[in-house]
Amino acid sequence: MALSPSRSQLLKIATSLVPTYGFTRETLSRSVLELPKDKAHSEPLSENAVSSLFGSRDYAKKTLIEAWLSEGITQMASAPSPSLGHVLHARLSYNEPVLHYLPEVSCSSYKSDSVAEMKNILQAFALLASPERALPPLDPRPALKHVSRIADEASYISGDDSAQLSWYTRRASLATIYSAAELHQFTSPGTAHAFLDSLLTGSSALKQSVDEVQLFSSYVLQSWKGILRSKGIL
Amino acid sequence: MSLPTLRRSLARNRNFARCISSSSSSDPQHSKTTSFGFQTIPENAKESMVKSVFDSVASKYDLMNDAMSMGVHRLWKDQFVGDLKPGRRGPMKCIDVAGGTGDIALRILDFAREKYADRETSVEVVDINEQMLKEGYRRFKKTMYHNTPQISFHEANAQSLPKEKFRDNSYDLYTIAFGIRNVTSIPAVLDEAYRVLKPGATFACLEFNKVDHPLLGTLYDQYSFHIIPLLGTILTGDRASYQYLVESIRKFPAQPNFAQMIRDAGFVTGKDIDGGAWTNLWGGVACVHTGVKI
Repeated sequence: MALSPSRSQLLKIATSLVPTYGFTRETLSRSVLELPKDKAHSEPLSENAVSSLFGSRDYAKKTLIEAWLSEGITQMASAPSPSLGHVLHARLSYNEPVLHYLPEVSCSSYKSDSVAEMKNILQAFALLASPERALPPLDPRPALKHVSRIADEASYISGDDSAQLSWYTRRASLATIYSAAELHQFTSPGTAHAFLDSLLTGSSALKQSVDEVQLFSSYVLQSWKGILRSKGIL
Repeated sequence: MSLPTLRRSLARNRNFARCISSSSSSDPQHSKTTSFGFQTIPENAKESMVKSVFDSVASKYDLMNDAMSMGVHRLWKDQFVGDLKPGRRGPMKCIDVAGGTGDIALRILDFAREKYADRETSVEVVDINEQMLKEGYRRFKKTMYHNTPQISFHEANAQSLPKEKFRDNSYDLYTIAFGIRNVTSIPAVLDEAYRVLKPGATFACLEFNKVDHPLLGTLYDQYSFHIIPLLGTILTGDRASYQYLVESIRKFPAQPNFAQMIRDAGFVTGKDIDGGAWTNLWGGVACVHTGVKI
């Protein structure tokens, strides 16, 4: 018997259909239509089948959103160059196809349409943040996990060799930068890339300043130690 | 031959008593063996022994189910059918295997009718046991579905459904509730389910399974091994049959193992977690496994 397509194969196909059908159960049900010719179905999956494979009600949508986000992480590796800026830009660009929800979008109506279409991504993130149980009312962990994964992957691809504490601070900084850029993209998609560039530039300048302050502080501390030793206190 | 008589004759046969394998083995010096509750018996004897059990319990099957589970089995079956939502996307052709008394079939038809005004969904009830089918037929005579194309009863073996009657790729939904643990070969039943289902159709199995929680598990064991056979004695005078039913639950594969068997048959399932490939009911006392033919 030929191997049946696996659940992960169907999810991967479904993520490619998100720009067309959004983060919906319909997207998942239509995944079987896009299988290779010898295995493709003639009709979408039934509701039972979607629930059985991916979960009932909103849980299936969450599964699709998480698969789409995971695919985004994978796509970061295909950035034109492994530099940090290019990798983060590639990830921002990955969001853009979901903006073009309507097939005919003119330049003049781009902003108003993109606001409606950005709602899809916002709803997706809202769904991820909504708890499965009553408390807490909003779960920040999915959002934190999302930006942390991107920061970690971007650091890895760019060949970051930070160690110890700076490993964490580096990633926290990148997560904050990307999070701000993505939020900016939701309200002003056209200027998102420029905003990201400004944040990266500012961040490296800030890092330099912090490093210099740290160095100067260590000199001051050494000199005070010397003074206290000469007075016999230390 | 009644079940107690059959059990005593097997116990006297030392060759069978020495069989220590609890699953089918292919020792060339002995015939293949399988489990019948906690006993190990020849594979070719299981079918007749299970038949004896259900011949014995058929007339009071529902009474015993209510007594053993304190009516909870009705909730499980309601949830089982409710989650499948038959009729939601139009008429479905369903097959309910080991569904002799028609519990699941009736729920499927009622659900489709009441929720979606669907009077075209049909269920074919299949059971190896004639007595159980008669009980189901008798029950359906009291309903509006009697003598309609929506319900039909067939005596057949779930491990080898006749191909001329149960054709390949012909059903939208395959259900089996509290029956699969009684078959001789679970993989054979799963293979047949895969054969008769259409691409994109769903396989759903409701069965007793392993309880995760240690305290609940202990209470459940005590109840199963002490109370249920006693109820069998009091209500039907047949302790041995209900002892078998309780033991057969313990021999059934655990949730992840059964999910793997479903995948081995060619189905695609959800993740191997509660809420994915299976859904535990009451901590695992009962469990719903599903799979999709892709």
